[in-house]
Amino acid sequence: MNWIPWLLAGWLFFVGIYGVISSRNYVHLVGCLAVVQSSTYVLLLSVGYRQGAGPPIFFHIPPGRAVDPVVQALVLTDIVVGATISALLLALALQVHKVKGTLDPDQLRPLRR
Amino acid sequence: MTPLVPLPVAVPITVAAFLLASGHFLPRRVPDLLAMATALAMTVISAVMATRSVSGPLTYWFGGWSTIGAQVVGIRFQVDPFGAALAAFAGLLFFATFIFAWGVFEKIGALFHVLMLFFLAAIDGFVLTHDLFNLFVWFEVMSVAAFSLTAYRLEASALEGAMNFTVTNSLASFCVLGGIGLIYLRVGALDFSALSQAVAADGGDPLFLGSFALLATGFLIKGAMVPFQAWLSDTHAVAPSPVSVIFSGIMVPVGLFGVVRLYFSVFAGSGVITTVLNTLGLWIGVASALLGGFMCLTQRHLKRLLAFSTISHVGVMLAAFAILSAPAQAGFLLYLLGHGLTKGALFMLSGLLLATLGGIDEIGLRGLGRQVWPAGIAFAVGGLLLGGAPVGLMDEGTRLIDAAASQAHRDWAALACLLASALTGGAVLRATGRIFLGWGKVAGEEERGPSEQEQEDANRPLWLLLLPAVVLLCLALAEGGTIQRYARLAVVALMSPGQAAHAPVPVPKPPHPILPWISTLLALLIAAFDLFRDRIPHSILVTNDRITTPLRHLLEPMHSGRVGDYVAWIVAGLAMLAIALSVAS
Amino acid sequence: MRRYRRLALFAIAMLGILPCMIGLFAHMPRFGEHPLPYGDAINLNGVRQRHVTNMVTAVNFDYRGVDTLGEEIMLIAATVGAVMLLRGSRGEELSARPGRAPGRPIAWRSTGQVLIARLMAPLILLFGLNIIIHPQLTPGGGFQGGVIVASAALLIWLGDGYRPWRRLMRSRPIEVAEAIGAAIYALCGFAPMVVGAAFLQNVLPLGKTGALISGGLILLINAGVGIAVACGFALLFIEFLQETRAEEEPDPEEREA
Repeated sequence: MNWIPWLLAGWLFFVGIYGVISSRNYVHLVGCLAVVQSSTYVLLLSVGYRQGAGPPIFFHIPPGRAVDPVVQALVLTDIVVGATISALLLALALQVHKVKGTLDPDQLRPLRR
Repeated sequence: MTPLVPLPVAVPITVAAFLLASGHFLPRRVPDLLAMATALAMTVISAVMATRSVSGPLTYWFGGWSTIGAQVVGIRFQVDPFGAALAAFAGLLFFATFIFAWGVFEKIGALFHVLMLFFLAAIDGFVLTHDLFNLFVWFEVMSVAAFSLTAYRLEASALEGAMNFTVTNSLASFCVLGGIGLIYLRVGALDFSALSQAVAADGGDPLFLGSFALLATGFLIKGAMVPFQAWLSDTHAVAPSPVSVIFSGIMVPVGLFGVVRLYFSVFAGSGVITTVLNTLGLWIGVASALLGGFMCLTQRHLKRLLAFSTISHVGVMLAAFAILSAPAQAGFLLYLLGHGLTKGALFMLSGLLLATLGGIDEIGLRGLGRQVWPAGIAFAVGGLLLGGAPVGLMDEGTRLIDAAASQAHRDWAALACLLASALTGGAVLRATGRIFLGWGKVAGEEERGPSEQEQEDANRPLWLLLLPAVVLLCLALAEGGTIQRYARLAVVALMSPGQAAHAPVPVPKPPHPILPWISTLLALLIAAFDLFRDRIPHSILVTNDRITTPLRHLLEPMHSGRVGDYVAWIVAGLAMLAIALSVAS
Repeated sequence: MRRYRRLALFAIAMLGILPCMIGLFAHMPRFGEHPLPYGDAINLNGVRQRHVTNMVTAVNFDYRGVDTLGEEIMLIAATVGAVMLLRGSRGEELSARPGRAPGRPIAWRSTGQVLIARLMAPLILLFGLNIIIHPQLTPGGGFQGGVIVASAALLIWLGDGYRPWRRLMRSRPIEVAEAIGAAIYALCGFAPMVVGAAFLQNVLPLGKTGALISGGLILLINAGVGIAVACGFALLFIEFLQETRAEEEPDPEEREA
């Protein structure tokens, strides 16, 4: 089926968001955000795919038909940076747990009014 | 290619890297001075570019690349007067903030300046770039620097506010990236010019509509528009004051500017998107303006109050943009500058109150402001400006927006924006009266402040705390004849990218010159109503409660502080945009 | 908002989004069978223009080098933020005794664990360095290799325990190295401007395609990125692992005084 990559990206996006909305633990929420992020990677890499073509590395073969290197470059840097943002979120969660003793997003509310 | 163009981005990054490496070894005040000098230099460079770009956009190809055949392969910055003016304004605001934040962040030393310089570089890159993925990169750098800056204070509520901020704005980044994927699939290029040619050729293609829905969602989340606005009040309540100045003064309006830039540089050729912006965009702007204004009045925490007023004023800016005519865009620029200066000054003054009086609760501080009465004058001026007083940059902007609205037969939008200004101005004036004049005694348990004590260090003299705020307010009060003409020139290049701005857009006749006076009077009345409740006849109070209480019950759950709610509203907003685009096509 | 209302809002929104999504998918080009003009332009010309054989690296550090500069800045900003957070609440001094979670035993390291970690750490370090060194020829680069090098450092902790690991990993030099990595990238951008070229333009000699030293400025930028990424992740590991330590207890002499 032709739509599988797009459906996969859409599914990951919305199921990740569902995870964020219904989460009861902040660490779980950070994981769901990572799922949403990976949906964008799936989309981008699928956009760059070409049937029957190889990777854009021309060490042993002459330059020719290959998949799109631009999206791969975009995704590559994003993955590494996404890991550090997850680290920042987890550091926040760690500190909140130390101060408040809970990781439940529904019980963690900033100052009201 | 003038070598000035990459500097607003490259120099702050280099200075920040240097500060990061040597921060521990430098004497105490050197990072402050270095950061101030960098911000000032970037302001000057951007201002020079702003004047030079009037006669034609300054194009700069990075890495020496441009095109291979007909395909654009490099990244370019295309400096137009609008973007350069925003970059200069950002530099100015950062300069003032560095003065205000002198000596505040002792614990983390130079890290504050490092993050702020990254932030400045990202804003400059965002407004100057001509490549879609590059736009996204600077958008993300802005967000990450902001996340790190918000999380500075370590009380529990600061952490929760930072978490809500980080989660919602990360989702914004993911939406933008998804939108980029869709449009790249369709066009195979990332440069604005290539994209706009493709859109103009086939404006109704669902791929373009889907891409726009995701991109607009992402940028409107950053711009704190309804229904994506809830994160802003949480963030402002907990971020340190210098950081709040930057958020409300430039970051949130620049998020909205992302939509403006995308529309005029890429999507203007699509009739469907134009129609949706002209209708739904206008409604979202007006809804944000009114929601922000109303919620403003219900707050007692000064920074949350100012946060809602930001939502309100950025809503006015969105409404101005959504009218899509040239005078409206000129009004947008002037309003953005005036609002940024005023809001920045007000946040600095709140920081002053936090530092000198040890509190930020309006009711808890009642009457204590007499010790710092010069700040009271500045606060009142800020409140009057927000309320629509007929002087200064914001008023110039409002007049252009009103004229554009009636030209486009959208007077209802102008009136709604007037009401919103009156609401926010009234709230700030009420706070001024209560804090500095001791009016508005509230009886009973309301007198007790919220449970958490807030404090910021005050290790600098009062005049140093006051000076940047006063300077910003004076700039906001400036009579804008030249700036107004510049704005009318800038919109020519904004709306037709690549063109020189030869002739300014004509000023339409302002329809009702009495409007600013009505707005100011209304703001004063609203402030007086809340301050002198005990002297108002009971029947009027009951009617007022009957109107406002259901509204509060409706709107306050939206700002519950729970991140799951905010994300649910984000999906709802995305659905709204998607359905509108489908229906219009 | 109560949970069920929130989920109901989500469900209603999804009811609106799903038809739009299906309509969108129906109009998308066939997977794998649509033109890739940008990719082709780079694939067909990159080897000739830059004397490199890995097109992804060419895009990352040359054609779209400014994007990667922004990404590196993002990484540093996030790392600085996380470190600032974790360090801020506890200061920089902590005892080296492991913290005790109530009800959980402290697991001892088995001989097998120590052996494998000691064997694999240098191997993985070498592997990581290998990945960093020649991105212009084969898949790899500073981003990927930097993470691998940092994980090799983590293996040392797994094998030898906290104290030897901390003796090896000192925060201050690693922070400085991270900043130097960023500075290298920025200076590689400015240096071409000195000779009148554009920011980040590849002005160094390009070398022979396929040689270990080829690609000009790409190698230098890549080295900067590798250092920054490796040090950034190492800092994160240090700070997170320090959270597992118990609080410092006052000396018995001080308590008596």
